[in-house]
Amino acid sequence: MVFKQLILTPAELTPLVDKALALGASYGEAAFHRVKGFQIILMNGSPITASYTLSEGVRVRVIAEGSLGFSSTDSLEKHDVIDAVEKAVKHAKTTANLLSKSIKMSDERLGRARYEASAREDPEERGGEDLFKLAVELYKSIDLSRYKVNINSFLLGLSYSIEEKSLATSDGGLIESRIPRLEVFYSITASSEGSSANRWQQIGGSGGLELIDELGVVQAIEDDLRSLELYLRNAKTPPKGRMDVVLGPEVVGLAMHESIGHPSEADRVLGREAAQAGLSYRRRIKPGEKIGSDLVTVIDDPTIPGSYGFYLYDDEAVPARPRYLILRGVLNEYLHNRETAAIMGTHSNGSARTMAWWSEPIIRMANTYMAPGDYSLEELIEDVKEGVYIKKYMEWNIDDYRWVARYVGFEAYKIRNGRLEEPVRNPALEVNTREFFSSIDAVGSDLRFYAGTCGKGEPAQGVPVWMGGPSIRLRGVMIK
Amino acid sequence: MLWELAEASARRLKDRFDEYEVIVGNEREIMLKLANGEPSVTQSWNRYTITLYVTKNGKIFQTSLSSTSPGEVFEKLDTILATLSPSPLYAPLPEPTGQDYENTDERIVEIVESGDLSRVSEALELDQAGNWAGTIRLAREERVLVNSNKASLHGERTLFNGYMRVFADEDSSGQWSWTSTMYRPDIAKKAIGAAARLAEECASLPKKKIESRNYRVLLSPMVAGNLLEIVARSASGGAILFGFSFFKKEDLETRVASEKLTILDKPRDRELPGYSLFDDEGVATRDKPVIEKGVLKNILHNSKTAKLFGAKTTGNAGLLMPEPFNLDVAPGDLKDDEMLEVLGDGLYITNNWYTRFQNYPEGLFSTVARDAVIVVERGKPIGCTSRVRIADSMKRLLSNIEGVGASLWQIQWWEVSTPTRLPHILVSDARITSE
Repeated sequence: MVFKQLILTPAELTPLVDKALALGASYGEAAFHRVKGFQIILMNGSPITASYTLSEGVRVRVIAEGSLGFSSTDSLEKHDVIDAVEKAVKHAKTTANLLSKSIKMSDERLGRARYEASAREDPEERGGEDLFKLAVELYKSIDLSRYKVNINSFLLGLSYSIEEKSLATSDGGLIESRIPRLEVFYSITASSEGSSANRWQQIGGSGGLELIDELGVVQAIEDDLRSLELYLRNAKTPPKGRMDVVLGPEVVGLAMHESIGHPSEADRVLGREAAQAGLSYRRRIKPGEKIGSDLVTVIDDPTIPGSYGFYLYDDEAVPARPRYLILRGVLNEYLHNRETAAIMGTHSNGSARTMAWWSEPIIRMANTYMAPGDYSLEELIEDVKEGVYIKKYMEWNIDDYRWVARYVGFEAYKIRNGRLEEPVRNPALEVNTREFFSSIDAVGSDLRFYAGTCGKGEPAQGVPVWMGGPSIRLRGVMIK
Repeated sequence: MLWELAEASARRLKDRFDEYEVIVGNEREIMLKLANGEPSVTQSWNRYTITLYVTKNGKIFQTSLSSTSPGEVFEKLDTILATLSPSPLYAPLPEPTGQDYENTDERIVEIVESGDLSRVSEALELDQAGNWAGTIRLAREERVLVNSNKASLHGERTLFNGYMRVFADEDSSGQWSWTSTMYRPDIAKKAIGAAARLAEECASLPKKKIESRNYRVLLSPMVAGNLLEIVARSASGGAILFGFSFFKKEDLETRVASEKLTILDKPRDRELPGYSLFDDEGVATRDKPVIEKGVLKNILHNSKTAKLFGAKTTGNAGLLMPEPFNLDVAPGDLKDDEMLEVLGDGLYITNNWYTRFQNYPEGLFSTVARDAVIVVERGKPIGCTSRVRIADSMKRLLSNIEGVGASLWQIQWWEVSTPTRLPHILVSDARITSE
């Protein structure tokens, strides 16, 4: 056995594509995908484990006889890679007789480019040794004695990853990329006066160790400890029924992702994910139809520098660009890859992403957010007679048609006569998508982004995304 | 190749650390994905994984690699370990009591190796598929474990599982899954048939809106499988330690559910794909109750969580987190044709997803129904609704289990990752919200 390091460049992948064509494929792509990184997890300030991760391999995807085949291997031995090419073609041909229509890729101006996200403090150069010191320093900088709750467990994870990809397609796409990312994860379980609660959060972006400061990790943890204290010691039963609700950027970002981003994925609209992530209300409500107030514009933009979902070319070599999913309250474009674009007679907008060498490119969001308005938080609240302000959430879910969502407040307050009053515990906003977006009558200027790992596909793929928005005001929605 | 990789890795760790362990796995897998009644893609994987675990003076480093070229990690181990402090989780690697196993079906191996799914598509009559969406998956999994305690173990198993969502129309669907270590087209067809019957039943009934209130609910094995997997995972020492559980250490040997409920972790069940005779520490697995007649009988441990709980490992490692292998819920006496009658007035919830907790320690959660939700009055279906939520406390839900079905299904899909054999479950007074 030889232990070796190897990166396959697009030029080295091209013979694999040629091989697929020679075997009868009408389209072929081959990619090398490596994610390596380091993670440290502290429990109550002590390291419970440190781990290094390396995931690398080759994937091959083809269309043969109008059918799609995919095969992948993390053995980079020549015979295993060739076997993957042969299997991809064989898979496609085997099921071709069951198809009523041929699968095609849309014609696109594909990229031939190399790009990388910058990291001022490149984690790979500093290595895992520094990460442990940073994690301990991070933990020690938080004065837990300031909070009047018992901390039962405090799990703090700090990790970086370097994602390197190269891609060659049979119609000329040649892309190489390198994206470093940093992620902080924490989960705090606390108790007070006979009740317990847990808060977990993920913070991340593309870049280096400088993100710990830039993304305000310490401030976020301290703010969550204060929220736990409020939840456990001060929060009262929330009001119920129809009322005005002000939502903070954390909740709004999630709602953009769940209620607008996912249903805009064209593969869901076409039924390709029906048994997994589900369908979409956009099967019935078409582009050009009104879904929200004029104040609502929702964008998915992979090109935001420093973002967790950053990329400049997608995993089909299509250039990335901002996608306007809702424009002034009207449903606009879908998120497309080349397959769905071909079916709908349009062009891909660069939404195909893969998690790893073993995953097929499918339609994914990148950084989904609501465009900000010009209200301050105080102005949003001062016009509410009776209502609730939900700043943070813990529980959420949405049905598989992406129509009725539920967001349960973690840090939340009662609003009376334009003023914030006592904290309330677990107010549950349950609302359908049209009602949510139509009831928005004011949009704040405080746009913020939150990191997440979005799951989709089979086998399930988790990709890094940002979810963002400003504070907003909803009139007359149901709190349960 | 696995032994070669494991031994080459072990040689590079030997004498440098107090303890080491290497687990090398290879998974060869093929999956057909269907949508709109046709194949959307056929995928296959040849995946090698190498897990390295080393300790020195109570410090722990572990790594999971999906690669056959892990060269640089070996160079970094000493430097990284030198910077760490001892782990509060550290416990010595236990005696390797596990045994080799082989639980494979040659028919699955042949299909996986050839990459040819035509035999499966013929058996399941995919050319006759209606509006189906789902996946069919076959895999052969092999692994080798060696460690500094002289463990030298080999395991090999196969699996055949999948799930199908069948649409009668846009608003009427059913979904069901199957899983086995053997090539069992019969259980796949039975599952697809169950999904089709639910879709047809929903389509034949008037669509109903229901109000938010408490209901008696009959949970299909798909729904009960999702919720009871969470219950079993909440009984992991790791989940309790890290705050992701509504159980406490003190709950052991206390009543946590209705006496109707018995859940076992059965790693030695040859029919379920989690089958294994050794865990990730090389310890022999054993079948054991998690909850027996409503009483929490076992917290699942590896050697690390066992040390912190003052207990013994249950053979459920996970090097970091203890986990169940296969779940088996004991059947009750509710016969299939009596279940709606016993339900009386209530809801038959046939599938769900997106289970999320508002508060882990207190067990507050909600989950969203998908596919058919049959509205039942006086034991008869009178309508079909969908996308309602169970928004309740897991503790209440477990206490309110009133009946358990007699027929068992083997389930594993997106929302039930642990292979689970279980029946329908009847729950009273469940809090349901609806639009």
